[in-house]
Amino acid sequence: MKFMKLDNQQNTDLTSLVFSVQHFCMHDGPGIRTTIFFKGCPLRCTWCQNPESWSRKPQIAFKQHLCIGCRTCVDKCPEQALSDPGYRNADKCVLCFTCVGECPSTAVVRFGDLRSVGSVIDELEPEFPFYLNSNGGVTFSGGEPTLYSEFLVNLTEDLQNKGIHISMETCGYFSLNEKAIDNSKTSLKKLLSIINLVIFDLKLFDNEEHKQYCGTDNRQIKENFTTLAKQKSFQNKPGLWPRLPVIPGITDSRDNLINWSDFLLENQIPFLTLVPYHKMGESKRSWLNTEPGPDLTPLSDEMLKAAQDLLESRGITCYAPGEEDWSLI
Amino acid sequence: MQNTAIAEKILPVDSYCQSFPRIQKIRTELLLTSNSICLERPCLLKEFSKSKEGRTSKNQHPFIRRAKALAYIFSNRLPRIYQDELIIGNMTSKRIAANYYPEGGSINILEDLFKLEKRQTPLKLSSKEKRKLLSIAMGSVFDSIGAKALLRPDRISHFLNFFRAKRYFVTEEAGIGHQVGGYYNVVHHGLIKVEKEAVSYLESGKSFQGQQLTDDQIAFYQSVKIIIKSICNMALNLAEKAEKMANSAGISAKRNAELLEAAAACRHVPYHPARSFKEGLQACWLVHIAMNLEDFEQGLSFGRLDQILYSLYCQDIEQMKLTPDSAIEILASFQLKTCETIPLYSDRIDRFFSGNGVAQGITLGGTDEKGNDVTNELSGLFLNAFDHVRTREPALHVRVHEATPDWFLQKAVETVQLGCGKPSFFGDNSIVRALEGVGMTKAHARDYAIIGCVEMASQGRTYNSSDAALFNLPLCLELALNRGKQFSKPDWSQRRLGAKTQAITQMTCFEDVVKAFKYQVEDSINEMVKVIGWLEDSYRIWRPTPVNSIITEGCMKNGLDITWGSALYNLTAIQVAGLADAGDSLYALNRLVFEEKRYSLEELVKILKCNFKGFEILREELTHKFPRYGNGITEADRMTQLAADIFSDTIRSHYNSRGGQYVPGMYSMTCHIGFGQKTGALPNGRPAGYRLSNGLSPVDGSDRTGPTAVLRSAGSLDSSKWANCCALNMKFDKKSVQGKAGRMAMAGLFKTYFEQGGMQVQVNVLDTRILQEAKKNPSAYPGLVVRVAGYCAYFNDLHPSVQDEIIERTVH
Repeated sequence: MKFMKLDNQQNTDLTSLVFSVQHFCMHDGPGIRTTIFFKGCPLRCTWCQNPESWSRKPQIAFKQHLCIGCRTCVDKCPEQALSDPGYRNADKCVLCFTCVGECPSTAVVRFGDLRSVGSVIDELEPEFPFYLNSNGGVTFSGGEPTLYSEFLVNLTEDLQNKGIHISMETCGYFSLNEKAIDNSKTSLKKLLSIINLVIFDLKLFDNEEHKQYCGTDNRQIKENFTTLAKQKSFQNKPGLWPRLPVIPGITDSRDNLINWSDFLLENQIPFLTLVPYHKMGESKRSWLNTEPGPDLTPLSDEMLKAAQDLLESRGITCYAPGEEDWSLI
Repeated sequence: MQNTAIAEKILPVDSYCQSFPRIQKIRTELLLTSNSICLERPCLLKEFSKSKEGRTSKNQHPFIRRAKALAYIFSNRLPRIYQDELIIGNMTSKRIAANYYPEGGSINILEDLFKLEKRQTPLKLSSKEKRKLLSIAMGSVFDSIGAKALLRPDRISHFLNFFRAKRYFVTEEAGIGHQVGGYYNVVHHGLIKVEKEAVSYLESGKSFQGQQLTDDQIAFYQSVKIIIKSICNMALNLAEKAEKMANSAGISAKRNAELLEAAAACRHVPYHPARSFKEGLQACWLVHIAMNLEDFEQGLSFGRLDQILYSLYCQDIEQMKLTPDSAIEILASFQLKTCETIPLYSDRIDRFFSGNGVAQGITLGGTDEKGNDVTNELSGLFLNAFDHVRTREPALHVRVHEATPDWFLQKAVETVQLGCGKPSFFGDNSIVRALEGVGMTKAHARDYAIIGCVEMASQGRTYNSSDAALFNLPLCLELALNRGKQFSKPDWSQRRLGAKTQAITQMTCFEDVVKAFKYQVEDSINEMVKVIGWLEDSYRIWRPTPVNSIITEGCMKNGLDITWGSALYNLTAIQVAGLADAGDSLYALNRLVFEEKRYSLEELVKILKCNFKGFEILREELTHKFPRYGNGITEADRMTQLAADIFSDTIRSHYNSRGGQYVPGMYSMTCHIGFGQKTGALPNGRPAGYRLSNGLSPVDGSDRTGPTAVLRSAGSLDSSKWANCCALNMKFDKKSVQGKAGRMAMAGLFKTYFEQGGMQVQVNVLDTRILQEAKKNPSAYPGLVVRVAGYCAYFNDLHPSVQDEIIERTVH
């Protein structure tokens, strides 16, 4: 389990915080892919199913259903921060992750490992033949991968040198004009000029609604989308593919769908992936002691169909995740 | 034809949306027919033994005696032709039934005599038939090969081992079966060629080497004449029946013509060379029936039918007698014929071989003897035909190599997406290398075809008792850690099952443990080989197989029955269950005891003896945190390789009495469940009684990094010694691999796996929810096909414990 360990790289070495590396992903770009999930997200969408992606710090989670009640975590904690399994005093905890290492049943887990470019490549390398034989590659996801743009530039260059296709999923909330959080703006611009495909999440068109449900202003997101669409039209790179999560009662309103379809047509991108809302991440909130997500009605096939019909009637071709026609980009 | 032209024709399943009402009708009828037992064969055998001919034959040479008995069955069984079918010839006296073989292990069914209708796989039998069954079974108790070989005072404990089935399970007691006959010769030369050879040997009185024919050789060539004549009789009886039906009242003009065509075919083949594509299939089918009635039903396979029939297909297309569509209809009708037979297992045995399948293999694609790709249009049409039948049988196998055309791999994956667990995929490189390793020429190895589920033969040249026995590998580790005794009971209260190896108190390093383990493996294998040897002796006297001998290269030349070792290549293969459990256990033991020194060996064995009671924390840690085979972790995979090598090397050091080498296969049918129930706790955290790992697959739930890592681990193992192949089971959620993207991804997976040295992989594409519902409400899901180990089965036919496994297996 060499990748579970903290990578004690020198400060000179670039690192990023990764909470999961998943092989054989088929819904994040063409072919067989490995998706790397980076930790930290500027948005807080109420329906989010990946609460472990929010914080930019490593976290300790507790999976109650796996706990066998052996209390090893309690006994072994050097700070006596645990009163019972799953009851951790955050003030006492120094994030030494002893409990994670000691838990025999993997009920206590760590989200967020500091990873160097080299360690990520080492993990990906055995998978290269699968990418190459299926026109697949590697996808950066999150959280928000653009938080680590300098790291990603390095990783992308190394991977592309080996013939690997790179795509990135983004919430679109990043700044191309100001100094970004961990690096210079140039690295983000560079990343967006070398990467092969950007899968761009669109959520709420109305700015007030966006603030209400996603926690931030959305003008920047739209602006970035338009910049990328323009860049695509004259540089032909990177490919740009929009995605919209269909959240019942939130993103599937008539106005929202019509506004986005107009926006996409203006940007000359007449296609979109509709990601149906699911509740499969609900249990993850309890692992992290995060408050439960909103109690939304499950998305019915009819609701999804209605959204699709509306978009298609306005000239937007809709796709299900994993069924995209990547030749369009 | 150009590849692209074929691709256009075959690839899109939608362009073949034309459905064939005839095929749907036959299929529906078969799915609605209850399974039964056919008593015609044993009745005819009894009749024969009482006849004058039968009585006199008792004093004749075993070859003659056997040929005459079989000839009596072939010539006197009643022909049956079912509605709409294009290929005719009944496998049993009923629509779907198991043949009863008094010479084999059929008697085990008596264990279920009073619950036949209530079993997981119900068998319908009238009470009159049940009485008849009982009388046949009781009257032939001593006719079985097992009884003849083992019912002696000094061998009785080995006889009882069939019921204990702990260390191994000798399937050869039931029959050898498992053959890919030389159907090329059947189709293109006809049996007339073999008959002429036999006559010329008899007339000249000289053997192939120019010496005087021995009595055995004379008897053999006579038996060849007898058996060929009787196969022709069987075909003629069918022809007469077809003609009668054609002319009966109420038969449509179309059906009349079909029946007359079938009759004409049966008057011609398999004696003469086939004149058309359809006659080619009819010839194969008739000889296949004879093979089934001769030995027993398991693993009798057709070989590379796309190659064998291609010239006839092209000829008929050219002469406008056939279109690709009509070829599909004929192929579908042929494939449905394979659904008429089932095995006869009691519930007890069903746990080891669950699924009610007999695995009649058809191998598609691959290369010629020089290594050039020979995938053709027919390779694709076989798959298209299967789209229409979607039944448990036949078993479809696809060969993959560097030059396999994309359209074919795509088509094969598209067939997998149907969710029937077919076809399975085989890597030419590894297989050819493994077959060369047991002495085959490269050209012959490249002409391999799959026997039954996954086993391999150079078609028409090999006599491989490819499913002779299954072996419980992890048990050998248990025995090694307890001086040949099991953990379950106090040592003083049990007989020593294995060898008395070194006491653990004296073991000082990992190598000592490995040595003891190896010794236990050798001890078990020695005993097993001894038992199989006794069976082989009995086969030679009591159960020669003349039909098999006339379609396998070498027998005619040597003038001896195939059971006497006259085939060109002779092998006996033993399969292993629990490979990954053994490997992961070696890893865990080494790390806990010798590397990290957390426990002494005595302490660890004590923990295993109490089945981890009081050591749940350790068990959790072993289960979740120790590296395991199947995740692309070299240090773990290395131990599975070690376990595989210990087994392979020991097996390969033995030779059968036909002069052929013993070879290993890394697949376990469903024996890993049966064996698991009898195996104690293992150092990798597996509790006592739990099922073992399956074939080449990782331990359930330990493929933590997904399917690509499983394929990497499996592909990294050295398979050059596995001359009987392996079975790597993968299961995908339907949703994850649907559509074109799913097809591309699966094709990418397999291509990579085979590039990296993979040997075999098979895939179930299914919806876990559907399986759960099917388990609760079986009647709502007839015809749900899943891949079990090397073979496919209807989900409802599976033993509940096997159903659970299919549901629980990690969904990727």
